[in-house]
Amino acid sequence: MSEAMVTAERGRLRWLRRLSGITRRSPTMAAGAAILLVFALMAVFAPWITPFDPEAANARNVLAAPGGAHVFGTDGNGMDVLSRVIAGAGWAFGIAIPAVIVGVLAGVPLGLYTGYRGGWFDEITMRFFDALRVFPSIILALAVVAAAGPSLFNVVLVIGFLDSPVFARVVRAEVLALRHSTFVEAARAAGNPTWRILFVHILPNAIQGAMAQTAVRAAWAVRISATLAFLGVGIQPPTPEWGAMIRQGAEYLVTGQWWVGVFPGIALILMVLGLNMLGDGLQDLLDPRRKAATR
Amino acid sequence: MPIGKMLLRRVALVVPLLFVILLFTFLLVRISGQDPVGLLAGPTATDAEIALVRASLALDQPLWVQFGVYFGRVLQGDLGASWLSNRPVLGEIVERAPATIELMGWGVLIGAGLGIPIGLRAASRPDRSFDQVSRFLSLLGFSVPTYWLGLIMLFVFFYLLDWAPPGMGRLNLMLDPPPFFTGSYLIDGLIAADWEVANSAFRQLVLPVICVAIIAAAPIIKQTRAIALEVLGSDYIRYARAQGLPPREIRAMALRNSRTPVVTFIGTEITGLVGTTSLIEYVFAWGGLGQYGLSAIISGDFAAVQGYVLALALFSVIVFLAVDLFVMLTEPRAGIAA
Repeated sequence: MSEAMVTAERGRLRWLRRLSGITRRSPTMAAGAAILLVFALMAVFAPWITPFDPEAANARNVLAAPGGAHVFGTDGNGMDVLSRVIAGAGWAFGIAIPAVIVGVLAGVPLGLYTGYRGGWFDEITMRFFDALRVFPSIILALAVVAAAGPSLFNVVLVIGFLDSPVFARVVRAEVLALRHSTFVEAARAAGNPTWRILFVHILPNAIQGAMAQTAVRAAWAVRISATLAFLGVGIQPPTPEWGAMIRQGAEYLVTGQWWVGVFPGIALILMVLGLNMLGDGLQDLLDPRRKAATR
Repeated sequence: MPIGKMLLRRVALVVPLLFVILLFTFLLVRISGQDPVGLLAGPTATDAEIALVRASLALDQPLWVQFGVYFGRVLQGDLGASWLSNRPVLGEIVERAPATIELMGWGVLIGAGLGIPIGLRAASRPDRSFDQVSRFLSLLGFSVPTYWLGLIMLFVFFYLLDWAPPGMGRLNLMLDPPPFFTGSYLIDGLIAADWEVANSAFRQLVLPVICVAIIAAAPIIKQTRAIALEVLGSDYIRYARAQGLPPREIRAMALRNSRTPVVTFIGTEITGLVGTTSLIEYVFAWGGLGQYGLSAIISGDFAAVQGYVLALALFSVIVFLAVDLFVMLTEPRAGIAA
C-alpha cells in the first residue's frame, strides 16, 4: 500500500516538475494558461459565483455606480455588471471552442487530402484560399453572418469555416514533406486504403503545427464573435455576451457611466490576451520552423 | 525569364482572381436562402421597384446566367443602388474612399514609424527587458478590441479631459470641407491656406489615427523583430562580421536583405487593417467607406454590402499586385525562383 502511495507521490512530482519546466521555458505560455484557467473556472462555476442573476432587470436600480452590493455597478436595465461579466466567460468559450473544432474538422482533412493527392485539386484549393485572403477577415465574417442570419449556430459555423484555411495550409505543408517518406511508402505498399494512410499514418505526424494554431484561432474567434455582437449582428442582449455589453455601454460612455462598457472590455482583452499568450508559447514549442526563427 | 514577361504574367493572374471575388460577392446574397430580390431591394421597396430589381437580376434564368448578368453589370460599373440612401453604390464608394484613405494612411504611417524602430531595438538585444516589454505590448495590441479602444479614447479625451472634439466625423460641423485636391481634409486645408479647416481636421484626426496606429503597430513590432532576427542571424552577416566589415556596412547589408520580407508583410498588414479601420470609423462616425459598409451590414442593405466587400477586395488585389511588382523589380532572386 505504501508502495502505491510512493508511486503516486512520484507521479505527482514528475507532473509538477514538467509543469515548472514549461513555466521556465515559456513564462508567457504559463501566464496565458493561468489567465485561461481563471476564465474557465468563471465559466464553469458561473451559476454559483455570480452575486446576482445576470439577466435579472431591476428598473429601480438603473446605472448604479460601482460599489456596495453591485461591485461593478449596474447597466441601463439595472442588471448587475459583475454577474454579466462572469457569465460572459461561458459565452466566449461556448463560441470559441466549437468554432475552432469546426475549423479543425473542416481544415485538417482538406489539408491532408490536398497535400497527399497534389495535382489540379491541390492547385485549385490553394488558389481559392489565396483568393479568400483578399477579403479582410473581420469584414468577411460580418458580411456572411449578416447574410446568413445572426444565430449562434451561424456565428460558430462561419467563424469555423473562415478558420479552416489556416489549418489546411499548415497540415498541407507537413504532408508535402512526409508524402514520400519511407513509412508512407511502406503503408502504401502494404495495401492500405488512402483514408487509412492519411488518418492513421500521416495525421499523427502532421498535426503538431495545426495544434499550435488552435489557441491563436480561438483568440480570433472570441474577438470576431464579440465584434459581431458589438455591431448588433451577432448575439443579442440581454444575453450576457461581452461584445453586446460593450455595445450597450457605448451610449453611456459619453454621459459618464463608464462601468457598463469598460468592465466587459477588460474581460475581453484579458481572455484574448490569455489565448494569444498561450498560442505564442504553443507555436514556439510545437512549430519547429518558428523555433528556429526565434532562436 | 525576361522581366517584362514575368510582370505581364503576374498582372494576368489578376483576372481569375477577380472572377473568384465576383463569384463570392454574387453568392453573398444567396447563402441566406432568402429571396435575393428582397435582400437587394430592401424592406421598404414598392412592387414596382421589386419588379425592376427582379428583371435586372435575370432571376428566371439558371444560376450561372444570373452570375453572368451580375458580372456584366459590375464590369460596366453598375453596383446597384442602396435602398437606404436610394443612391448608386459606386458613387457613394468613390465619394467616401478619400476619408478612409486619409485615416488609414496617417494610421499606418505613424504605426510603422513607432513599430519598426521598436522591433529593431528589440531584435538587437533579444530576450532582454526591452524585448520582453515590447513583445508584451505587441501581444496587448493584438488583443485589444478595436472599437473598445476607440470608445475608451473618446471617454478619456473627450468626456473626462475635454481635449478632443466629439467623435462626429472629419470636420467641425460648422465648417465647409476644403476644395478637393488630395482628398485629405488636413492637407487640402493647408494647401488652401484655410487654417481653421486644417486645425479642425487635425483635431478630428488625432484620436482615430492614434487608434489605428496602435492596432497597426502590434504586428509591425512582432514582424520587424522576427525579420531582423532572421537576417542578423544569417550566415552572410556572420561572415561579413568575421571579415571585419564596419557596422555601418553590415547594417546596410541587413537592410537590403530585409526589404523584401518587410514590403511583403506591410502589404498583407494594410489589407488586414482595412477591417480594423472600418470599426474605428464606425465608432468615430467618420463617414468613410468603412462606416458606410458596416452600417450597410447592420441594416441589411445588401447592394451596398456587395459593393463594399468588392471595393475592399479590389483594394487588396491592387496592394498585393503592387507588392509583387515591387519585389520583382527590386529583388534579383525573384527572377530565378519564378
